[in-house]
Amino acid sequence: MKPILLQGHERSITQIKYNREGDLLFTVAKDPIVNVWYSVNGERLGTYMGHTGAVWCVDADWDTKHVLTGSADNSCRLWDCETGKQLALLKTNSAVRTCGFDFGGNIIMFSTDKQMGYQCFVSFFDLRDPSQIDNNEPYMKIPCNDSKITSAVWGPLGECIIAGHESGELNQYSAKRSGRAAPSLPLHSSPCPTSPRKALFTDFPPAFSLQLFDSTTLEHQKTFRTERPVNSAALSPNYDHVVLGGGQEAMDVTTTSTRIGKFEARFFHLAFEEEFGRVKGHFGPINSVAFHPDGKSYSSGGEDGYVRIHYFDPQYFEFEFEA
Amino acid sequence: MQDAENVAVPEAAEERAEPGQQQPAAEPPPAEGLLRPAGPGAPEAAGTKASSEEVGVAEAGPELEVRTEPAAEAEAASGPSESPSPPASEEPPGSHAEPPAPTQGEAPGEQARDERSDSRAQAASEDAGGNEGRAAEAEPRALENGDADEPSFSDPEDFVDDVSEEELLGDVLKDRPQEADGIDSVIVVDNVPQVGPDRLEKLKNVIHKIFSKFGKITNDFYPEEDGKTKGYIFLEYASPAHAVDAVKNADGYKLDKQHTFRVNLFTDFDKYMTISDEWDIPEKQPFKDLGNLRYWLEEAECRDQYSVIFESGDRTSIFWNDVKDPVSIEERARWTETYVRWSPKGTYLATFHQRGIALWGGEKFKQIQRFSHQGVQLIDFSPCERYLVTFSPLMDTQDDPQAIIIWDILTGHKKRGFHCESSAHWPIFKWSHDGKFFARMTLDTLSIYETPSMGLLDKKSLKISGIKDFSWSPGGNIIAFWVPEDKDIPARVTLMQLPTRQEIRVRNLFNVVDCKLHWQKNGDYLCVKVDRTPKGTQGVVTNFEIFRMREKQVPVDVVEMKETIIAFAWEPNGSKFAVLHGEAPRISVSFYHVKNNGKIELIKMFDKQQANTIFWSPQGQFVVLAGLRSMNGALAFVDTSDCTVMNIAEHYMASDVEWDPTGRYVVTSVSWWSHKVDNAYWLWTFQGRLLQKNNKDRFCQLLWRPRPPTLLSQEQIKQIKKDLKKYSKIFEQKDRLSQSKASKELVERRRTMMEDFRKYRKMAQELYMEQKNERLELRGGVDTDELDSNVDDWEEETIEFFVTEEIIPLGNQE
Repeated sequence: MKPILLQGHERSITQIKYNREGDLLFTVAKDPIVNVWYSVNGERLGTYMGHTGAVWCVDADWDTKHVLTGSADNSCRLWDCETGKQLALLKTNSAVRTCGFDFGGNIIMFSTDKQMGYQCFVSFFDLRDPSQIDNNEPYMKIPCNDSKITSAVWGPLGECIIAGHESGELNQYSAKRSGRAAPSLPLHSSPCPTSPRKALFTDFPPAFSLQLFDSTTLEHQKTFRTERPVNSAALSPNYDHVVLGGGQEAMDVTTTSTRIGKFEARFFHLAFEEEFGRVKGHFGPINSVAFHPDGKSYSSGGEDGYVRIHYFDPQYFEFEFEA
Repeated sequence: MQDAENVAVPEAAEERAEPGQQQPAAEPPPAEGLLRPAGPGAPEAAGTKASSEEVGVAEAGPELEVRTEPAAEAEAASGPSESPSPPASEEPPGSHAEPPAPTQGEAPGEQARDERSDSRAQAASEDAGGNEGRAAEAEPRALENGDADEPSFSDPEDFVDDVSEEELLGDVLKDRPQEADGIDSVIVVDNVPQVGPDRLEKLKNVIHKIFSKFGKITNDFYPEEDGKTKGYIFLEYASPAHAVDAVKNADGYKLDKQHTFRVNLFTDFDKYMTISDEWDIPEKQPFKDLGNLRYWLEEAECRDQYSVIFESGDRTSIFWNDVKDPVSIEERARWTETYVRWSPKGTYLATFHQRGIALWGGEKFKQIQRFSHQGVQLIDFSPCERYLVTFSPLMDTQDDPQAIIIWDILTGHKKRGFHCESSAHWPIFKWSHDGKFFARMTLDTLSIYETPSMGLLDKKSLKISGIKDFSWSPGGNIIAFWVPEDKDIPARVTLMQLPTRQEIRVRNLFNVVDCKLHWQKNGDYLCVKVDRTPKGTQGVVTNFEIFRMREKQVPVDVVEMKETIIAFAWEPNGSKFAVLHGEAPRISVSFYHVKNNGKIELIKMFDKQQANTIFWSPQGQFVVLAGLRSMNGALAFVDTSDCTVMNIAEHYMASDVEWDPTGRYVVTSVSWWSHKVDNAYWLWTFQGRLLQKNNKDRFCQLLWRPRPPTLLSQEQIKQIKKDLKKYSKIFEQKDRLSQSKASKELVERRRTMMEDFRKYRKMAQELYMEQKNERLELRGGVDTDELDSNVDDWEEETIEFFVTEEIIPLGNQE
């Protein structure tokens, strides 16, 4: 399995995402460029130009009409996927850390950093009401007083979002006009990247492990232990597998060799919590991983600025635990 | 002997003068050193350490003084010793109540001294400055009272001093004259020739010559009977210290064939006369049942134990080593403050604490013994597990040597204390293999002590000028030491039998830079690694001088190597040795075999090794070559019987390699002490098959519990080796059983996990299916549940790409 190396960024990758069909791969980095690639061969389809700061997050809606990006230039932008035209510019007071389309693609959500004297907010816009975009007036804006949101995803059916906070808390926020919804889950700490599928949901405390929660009840399900920080994880769509990306913290990387950093993507069995494979290649920590929706390939984006698309070997599909 | 007096006497004298008095605790030893000006005795003291070994006090005392001398000189230069200027630190607590009047302190100081036996002033000449200073502090009250012009500082009549004299001027009180002072200085000499008056003068001259070495003789008395002397005489010295010295050194002096002096203190007669004839039976000590301290050897599976320190030292655990997973026996928080040590036969586990050492053992690891030694840092067990040597840099004082203490492990009693010179490497005391003797090296001297008396062997140290290093044979009471070249005298390595002190082999060596002594574990061979710079060549050549200890006259053979030597190690129970040589990255390992006829044969050389350390299996034959730390933890497992590399592996950044005592397993570890990430210990078989990776948070140290030597006789061992096939069948069956059990357990566990997971997923999927309509609604009636739904709507497009394919295995598929 020779990976396809995507070299479209000059800075470390912050997030990568496939569209629903999996033919396109969106990548954003700490440079202002938003790239979109053909996942099958790694050819670049185009870029979305306009941001002036690091781009933290990207999302595409279910029919790949629109692309949403959030950046440290204090803006969240909506793009036409096909033409690359900027459809909307939503100015904010601080950097946009997370963003996403709901299940139906009609409501967008983004959260902003606690920064420069401004609080962390979660904002909801309904795209069906153009006035909200034109006036930059979300139909709902929830302040988060305690600790900023480091990661957020939409819950099932777009009823709520699930957000991980810097303090390690996990919260659900209702997207209906009522506001915050229970239950909330304290306990976990540090950045909590997330990735949803069906009824599962993931999250990472700093004790170097990955924890799996039910996205409806926020009940803890599984724990996967590692020796290095986990930055990102993704569930396979058709196997009981989960891939973890991480490695030695970026700030320590210059003082350690790549071998000690363990910049590897690690595959665990979802039910047994046992590791069964690793993929090397990055020479910095992996910041984001994503499974192709067909489960036959996955991609990873690292602090080293590269995105690697890996197609699995036949052995991967044949492999089974003795049980 | 002459030189020793100024050194050894003061301490001894003080001890004698105040046998019952406690040393004031407030006085820090360094301050005392500072206070003492460089008196006339001091330079002499510097030059004379070797001759007075008899007691620890006398032995190491001079060393300490030598070290503090420069400071003392500086002190003396800044203010002459005549006008006492005691440093503030010297004042005992509470002295502020009566401020000293330093300018006037001198005269009363002298007075105070006069009351003492005046001769003491000379005897302790180097001490004098200090004493004057202290005396001056003590006296000012008298002075002030006498001076009417000054405002009165005297106490009101009803004033009760709340500071005891002892507290206030304990150091002066200590030197106060005693009633017995007079007789203390008298010695009795027996076996003196009986002479008439005609030869008395001559005898007196001879006696004077011999005994004035120890101090000034102030008085003598030769009892006479029938015109002849009686054969015993009395001598009085200027100070009791001199008398003690005379007893120590002149007792047993051979005047001629007929006359060997017996010298005793006069006071001793008194002392021994008054000893009661009745003998009290010592009280019987209650027997403390500690259980079977060797229970771990009776384990059915013959597993070994090891200790693990982790969480940066906060937690210590003891485990049974097991092929599957380690089995925890005991885990305690803050069991030790630094690290732990096992005793050489594994009976005790020693833990380190600020206040001393604790020994643990038995099935529950109960505390067995405690040794109180403030600030203890290093310990060493005697090979017989009878004695424990502890070292602390805190406690030492000149009067009471406590830097190194030797303890009896069974009783917990202190056997003897020693001073410590800073330069030495631990262990300072090296034990003979049976624990009968222990030895230490100081400048030009090798001191050998014997147990259980802890006294010097034959009451004398060995004077070996220039001795650089020594080592006991692990197989007999033979000591090897070496002396470097001195002008025209070649360097030499000497093997000495003890306690006879017979030199059994001396080997002279030329152009020597350095020597290292390596004993084979049984004491069959000694290898002296000699670094030489032969004339007419550049650089260092290394010779391995192999002494065959078991043969007559100890023949020596030499192997020469021109490359840099990185490491050398003997096969523990055999006649092979391994050498790592060369410069990184071109490092080679060579295996040599010492044949029965003495020929040394190179068996095999492997080049391009990544190694800097050699670890032989305790049973021999197998060896692990490890490139620790800077070499990233490369490991090579070698079988030296046919010299094959069984496996090459790596434990990245490994800092330690530890063989288990049976030679079946090896542990490699990354200690938090040397590296802050990936702290873990890995268990390997002796062939280099990785069995376990045990990650422990901030893992520090793993130590195998040693085993005592086997009780089986050579014949029994032979028999077992012969019947190995019979045993191995049994063991293999056992292994298979436990393996199938293990895999069964694992499969069982997985099955239940999978079952739970399926249940959970089923529930989630049902929920998901229920929401299907809502999903359809949200996405405008388009079914997106499956990736290839709505195929009808797709527009097909064929794109051709040229993709080269290559198969790379997916890493670690365990």
